[in-house]
Amino acid sequence: MTDTPPTDAPPEAWVRIAATSDLAGKRPVIPVTAHGHKLVLFRDEEGQLGLIGRYCPHRGADLCFGRHENNGIRCPFHGWHFDRTGQCTEQPAEPEDSTMYKAIRQPSFPVTQRGEEILAWFAATAPATLEEVTE
Amino acid sequence: MITQKLNDQITRIGPGTDAGAVHRMYWQPAALTDELDADPLLPVNLLGERLVLMRGADGALVLAQREASADEPPAHHPAREDIRLVQGGATYPVVEKNGICFAYLGDGTPPAFPNFDCFRAPDTHVFAFKGLWECNWLQALEIGIDPSHASFLHRFLEDEDPADSYGKQFRDKAANTDMPMTQVLRDYPRPDIEVDETEFGLKITALRHMANDLTHVRVTNQIFPSAICIPMSREMIITQWHVPIDDENCYWYTMFTSFDKPVNKELMRAQRLKEHRLPDYAPLKNRANDYHYDPEEQASLTYTGMGLDINVHDQWAVESMGAIQDRTREHLGRGDAAIIRYRLLLRRAIKAVQTGKLDRLPMQDRQETPQIIGPLSNDAIADSDDWLAASVAADMERRRAAPWDATV
Repeated sequence: MTDTPPTDAPPEAWVRIAATSDLAGKRPVIPVTAHGHKLVLFRDEEGQLGLIGRYCPHRGADLCFGRHENNGIRCPFHGWHFDRTGQCTEQPAEPEDSTMYKAIRQPSFPVTQRGEEILAWFAATAPATLEEVTE
Repeated sequence: MITQKLNDQITRIGPGTDAGAVHRMYWQPAALTDELDADPLLPVNLLGERLVLMRGADGALVLAQREASADEPPAHHPAREDIRLVQGGATYPVVEKNGICFAYLGDGTPPAFPNFDCFRAPDTHVFAFKGLWECNWLQALEIGIDPSHASFLHRFLEDEDPADSYGKQFRDKAANTDMPMTQVLRDYPRPDIEVDETEFGLKITALRHMANDLTHVRVTNQIFPSAICIPMSREMIITQWHVPIDDENCYWYTMFTSFDKPVNKELMRAQRLKEHRLPDYAPLKNRANDYHYDPEEQASLTYTGMGLDINVHDQWAVESMGAIQDRTREHLGRGDAAIIRYRLLLRRAIKAVQTGKLDRLPMQDRQETPQIIGPLSNDAIADSDDWLAASVAADMERRRAAPWDATV
């Protein structure tokens, strides 16, 4: 599936994408669709948020069903593992000497939380300081 | 990554398309014998065409075009009284083989059938079933020529007792060891993959180098254009077609072939009917109910959290890519060697059809095709320097002991 770029430019503002309670369960992983992007939002084992492309860059399987482990998200199809920045960190089905994973990076977006809200920045510009939240 | 233009060319199969023209050079599974009644008028949705399977004036099965509205659902089965044949529409020949009705939707004389084990074994030793997947046929085929996914997608965090394995994939002991197949797959996840072109398609060899200088050898096959032939257990192999309904839906049709005892068809049918609804053979676990995904099971028992039936894992993987996988964003690795090779075969076949060089397509020679036997499809464990001979020897032993003529 395509992570289609939006036709309208995203606002230069933090956008509410979820509530912190949405990630309150044992497995803090949810799908997010915003500004034309299909994404997966998760909290890693360090408590940090990741907002990265939803479909595995290998063959397109849905990372929302990924294994929440090893401080990131792992595709159940071939075990490719991604950290909160979208960087691929492991390709456990590839030969031991393969370094292909270093060149694989999912799209990712700045994400943060304020109070009970989870906010993301979709504009191409640098994220504003958090006081400028739009509703 | 490939271009959108190429992705369209190798995936779309309706009348007048490039890949559709290649499919129309081959016999396609159209229905199960199980679906026929005494006077069949069975809706068939195949290669973007709306058809009905019936008996012609001479009593032989034939496919005929039926009227359908543009918004009819892909796997729709209209009621018998609502079926209207297209007057003067095309009819296509049908041949029934061990539980599957095959149809030829192309022009001219149909090709001969190869003499594969699933066709050669007696009816008692073959069981056929099918199921609906809501995605393009090519991604359904590609998971079948991808030997490394089994170490992840089908990983069981605990092994079952292989004694409870009848009729299920990967639950038997591996080759001549006491190690469950599930353990071999889990412990050795980085197979070396060798791909060889054959007269029927591709031979795919996955080598898992184990402790004590042993190698697990798993030989699977791609049968052009849309089938695979893979081992299921020491007793049985699977021959499975991924047949397009339209561009965004397909059926898998499987022939389970036993080299030993007659197939327990009642058990195998019951195992599978429990997971599907009729008449369209749609799986009960599907996208609409998240495939019964259970995060706790994913944490403790299975890699997917979607139960123990590996068909559901495969269905999730291929359907989750979307109706037609966006191959402009894929990143293939060395583990995808057979997929890459298959796409070259398909593109070569498209070119051959376009230029009228039909003899360049696999299995089109009417004299030679019936002499194609096998293919070798099995698991073996051997000393690492001897894996090729061990793989052949294990297959020969099974064939020699078979109660039907399985010699090659």
